[in-house]
Amino acid sequence: MTKPVEYPNVLLDALEHGVMIVDEEFNIVYWNQWLEINTGHPYSSVMGKSLLTFYPEIDYRTLQRKIRTTLRLNSPTFYDASLNNRFIPIPRNKITSSLLNTMQLQVTISPYIIDQGMVMIAVYDISDLHELKLTLQKQMKKIAHLNNELQHDKQIIDDNLLIVKTDGEFHITEVSKAFNAFFGFKQNELIGCPLQIIYSDKTPLTEYTLMQKTLQNLERWNGEIEIISKQSEPLWMDAVVTPWIESGGFLSSYTAIYHDITDKKRLEILATTDPLTKLFNRYKFDEIFNIMLMREHWNADNSFAIVMADIDHFKQINDLYGHQRGDEVLVQIAEVLRETLREGDTLARWGGEEFIFLLPYVDVHRAALVADKLRVAVEKLNLFVKVQLSFGVSLFVAGDTQETLLNRADAALYKAKKNGRNRVELL
Amino acid sequence: MVKRVEFSGDHLDVLRELMNIAVGNATASIADLLKAFGTMHIPNITISDIKGLKQYIQETIPSQSSHYVTKQLFGGPLGGEFIFVITDEAAINLGNHLYDVDAPNDADIYDAVIELTNILSATMISRLTEELNVKVQFFVPSTQIIKGNDLIYLEETLLYSQIIIISTQMEFQNQNINGHIFILTKDAMIQSLKDLIDQKLEELYA
Repeated sequence: MTKPVEYPNVLLDALEHGVMIVDEEFNIVYWNQWLEINTGHPYSSVMGKSLLTFYPEIDYRTLQRKIRTTLRLNSPTFYDASLNNRFIPIPRNKITSSLLNTMQLQVTISPYIIDQGMVMIAVYDISDLHELKLTLQKQMKKIAHLNNELQHDKQIIDDNLLIVKTDGEFHITEVSKAFNAFFGFKQNELIGCPLQIIYSDKTPLTEYTLMQKTLQNLERWNGEIEIISKQSEPLWMDAVVTPWIESGGFLSSYTAIYHDITDKKRLEILATTDPLTKLFNRYKFDEIFNIMLMREHWNADNSFAIVMADIDHFKQINDLYGHQRGDEVLVQIAEVLRETLREGDTLARWGGEEFIFLLPYVDVHRAALVADKLRVAVEKLNLFVKVQLSFGVSLFVAGDTQETLLNRADAALYKAKKNGRNRVELL
Repeated sequence: MVKRVEFSGDHLDVLRELMNIAVGNATASIADLLKAFGTMHIPNITISDIKGLKQYIQETIPSQSSHYVTKQLFGGPLGGEFIFVITDEAAINLGNHLYDVDAPNDADIYDAVIELTNILSATMISRLTEELNVKVQFFVPSTQIIKGNDLIYLEETLLYSQIIIISTQMEFQNQNINGHIFILTKDAMIQSLKDLIDQKLEELYA
């Protein structure tokens, strides 16, 4: 004959969590299979005995209060599952993590048979969840620590580095404290302004063009730039402008970091400038010439020209009026040449009464036109003596070196002198 | 779009009366179970949206203290969220009272707050649902410490269009314990509450 199934017990034994039934004195009335297996205490050994016998260490005053509350209110009570387990310790067999040696339990005390003072205590193993929470808390602590360090570093950067951030259209969005302090601006004074507002209008347009071209190619631009302080003082900066690319590949902003090189620049200007005319000296011209030779792939329609110019009969001026008046002529001519040149062209004193020009982005006709414009400008000068210049123009062609180009320009100048002076010749 | 449920003055009167009974019950239970004798204020009942709830909480809870905030869900024909807010100072006093130690540890305090919440939610909600002849299921509560009074995460609650706020304050002067209670229910549950109150009104006036 088949033994009748005791449905409640079968049901409770089938559960994937622990269930015990106890009275107000903690005497165990029921202990399901899950508890048998996980605590190591078989049903037969715990039945009728007090929980105290097996677990003397738990806080029975609290447990008693919770049982009483459950019975009086006929409503479940709970242990706080977010804390370390405060109910019975149940060993945990997880090998791959050692965060919890005993199970983290969620404990619910529900009314069972109220008039007999019995409650049902259900324990759920929430160790994995708790472990995740502990790991998360650990990570959050780490993140908070890193965040603090980051804030500290940010503070140091803000206080010490000259930084300007802009949006993709070069409108200023952020300025470091150090930048404002260094250039005398108030906090937020520059926010929303175009970046160009802080740059000197002496900065050649070609430099801007090059900067924008580089940045539009999403590359970092590094160069020297003059910034005007709030007190209108020009200050030279070494600048690094970096485009910020979002993960989707689109450009969102630019960050410009500046380093003050004003003193270095002053020394450099002294070393690269002719003291009389304030034009570049030969050393500086050579440097620019070399950069120009390397910078681009030039062709016949888009090349650069070297123009050499020499004051006609300058020796006579010196002989007749003296060297001081001769120097005055040199200064006046230098000034008119500088004023007549296009932005981006380079002018230097080549020696004695000779000047040299570098004209980028020209063809042969354009170069000759510019030279003639210079010639006319000098001819129109109203000085104590009539002055004129002869010009020799040579256009860079493939295979040219600095030497071949200069030789051709020199030969063209010689030709201009030979053909009657105050004229432009090409070679 | 969720249809707004309109509560008449009668509905609000019944709800207020039921809550007065529930509050009385809670006070008695706390005295009996926790040996703490005190008073609870007459509940204030407001119908609001989620932004109004946020503002209500900010006006009710002081912003300068840290708080133990326990939230417990309850389900059934009348479901919602029960929130108990107690300052950290009052929570320490509660831990002190329940665990009878001079300096209760964090675990003692958390568990004491959970115990008090259990009693408050069980008495107040059970009494309310008992009066309305429906069953209620309580879910496991959880407590967290919040600095200030920013208890509501707006981005998580935008779907709730209409909320009933039942709020009261408990004071146990001898133990220097006081706290704020909020019972919140929303949308479909508000209709359910209205229907239950209608039934109650029919019973009363039958």
